[in-house]
Amino acid sequence: MKIIEYLSRLDRRIIYLVLATVVMVPLVIPTVPRVRVMTPVEKLFNAVEAIPNDQILMLDFDYDPQTLPEIEPMGVAMLRHAFHRRTKVAVLSLYVQPLGLAKKALDQVTEEFNSRATSYEDSIIYGRDYVFLGWQPPPIVPLLGMGISIVDVYQRDYYGYRTDSLPMMQRVKNFNDVGILVSLSGATAPLWWIAYSQTRFGVAVGAGITAVSASEFYQYYQTGQFSGLMIGMKGAAEYEEMVQSRLSITSRRKASEALGSLTAAHLTMIAFIVVGNIGYFIRKRKEKGVQR
Amino acid sequence: MNIAHDPWVWIGGLLTICIFSFLYKDNPFYKFAEHLFVGVANGYFLTFTVHRVLIPNLFTPLFREGRLFFILPLMVGMLYVMRFIPRVSWLVRIPIAITIGYYTGLVIPATVQADIIRQIQGTILTQQNFVAWNAGSAGIIWQAILFIGVVCTLSYFYFSREHKGVLGVTSRIGIIFIMIGFGAAFGYTVMARVSLLIGRFQFIIGPWLGIID
Repeated sequence: MKIIEYLSRLDRRIIYLVLATVVMVPLVIPTVPRVRVMTPVEKLFNAVEAIPNDQILMLDFDYDPQTLPEIEPMGVAMLRHAFHRRTKVAVLSLYVQPLGLAKKALDQVTEEFNSRATSYEDSIIYGRDYVFLGWQPPPIVPLLGMGISIVDVYQRDYYGYRTDSLPMMQRVKNFNDVGILVSLSGATAPLWWIAYSQTRFGVAVGAGITAVSASEFYQYYQTGQFSGLMIGMKGAAEYEEMVQSRLSITSRRKASEALGSLTAAHLTMIAFIVVGNIGYFIRKRKEKGVQR
Repeated sequence: MNIAHDPWVWIGGLLTICIFSFLYKDNPFYKFAEHLFVGVANGYFLTFTVHRVLIPNLFTPLFREGRLFFILPLMVGMLYVMRFIPRVSWLVRIPIAITIGYYTGLVIPATVQADIIRQIQGTILTQQNFVAWNAGSAGIIWQAILFIGVVCTLSYFYFSREHKGVLGVTSRIGIIFIMIGFGAAFGYTVMARVSLLIGRFQFIIGPWLGIID
């Protein structure tokens, strides 16, 4: 009993240290556990898989450094998926902070594919296979404007090229040419795509979100407003699993590697909560005994 | 072990340690990293706004291409600055009124459609909603739970009558649903925060210290 009482009064810094240790150990000995893919992620994967040749995947990178570990693996996995099946991709951000992170993910995945490519046709070429539209504030402008004309909203891309001069954009006019728009966001951007772009122009919307905001977003998946949903690091790992098992792409799976740490941290926290509660009730009982 | 040689990786690593030091207690290293972050973020945003928004969307069309129509948004925008001149500070109401009017008109129909009408449709007990659960015949049960949950939770927030009788029962059931919702939200929050910690550790023992690839 004394040990439980002692544990329930443990200094928070020791708890941090224990948590840091249980998170660190599985990372040093990396293993990729078997990931069970849930229906929302499978639906999103299938929605990307179903994009016809004459339509594109539009990826909205709207995460910043605070939510990078959860969302970036989603973006990387989706780019791998799209490039593997030669679906053309348009990338954009509704905010300024994610631009550098979006470029980082694009550079990483194009480098992966181009290092394996054996010919020009096989390579992933800017302007032909993907474009980086960049940032056009305020967000309402792309949300509504792209339903009429994408090149009018983004007259120049992230690198300063005129978008109407890029080969890919010759046949991509507006949301009618977008197979699905997937918003990868640490905030509420996916809801804006639903409220404005989907309601008005009927574009299919998918989302990759942080675990914190999951309970806010599930109802939109249940009503069918989201074609698919990835939630947190677990969602990213599920998409990575789909990309590897269905497409045999064996690149590094950052989210899947982290699942061991995630499980260990959860078990540790559950143990602390249980011990803390038992200690609380023991203490309360003792106090009652003293009062009597 | 393959320690980073890139000075930017070292800066990132050391700033991470500065932020983590707050877990021990508040200290000048944490404060330095926090202030640096705010300053850099603001500087980045400001520079980007000038170069990627104001110059291509306003200054170039107006001053280089001579499209005089752009003088109108420039003048309306400049009215925001009037709040610094007390005698004419009331002029700031004009751009604020334009912005509020524009966004209110835009937001109301979109929100009603996406957040109210579609959510009500998704709550009703229909064949289409049963099928949407992808759970076979169990879809009816899930949809019924959802329906009861929504109705009871709404009844909990109905304060125009005392929670007695039928309303008392439904509002008590509503509290159970609300508590389950809070529990799920807390669980997800824990998962999110641990994920961020993992992300930082992946950086520290990966690109920085080179313990893993």
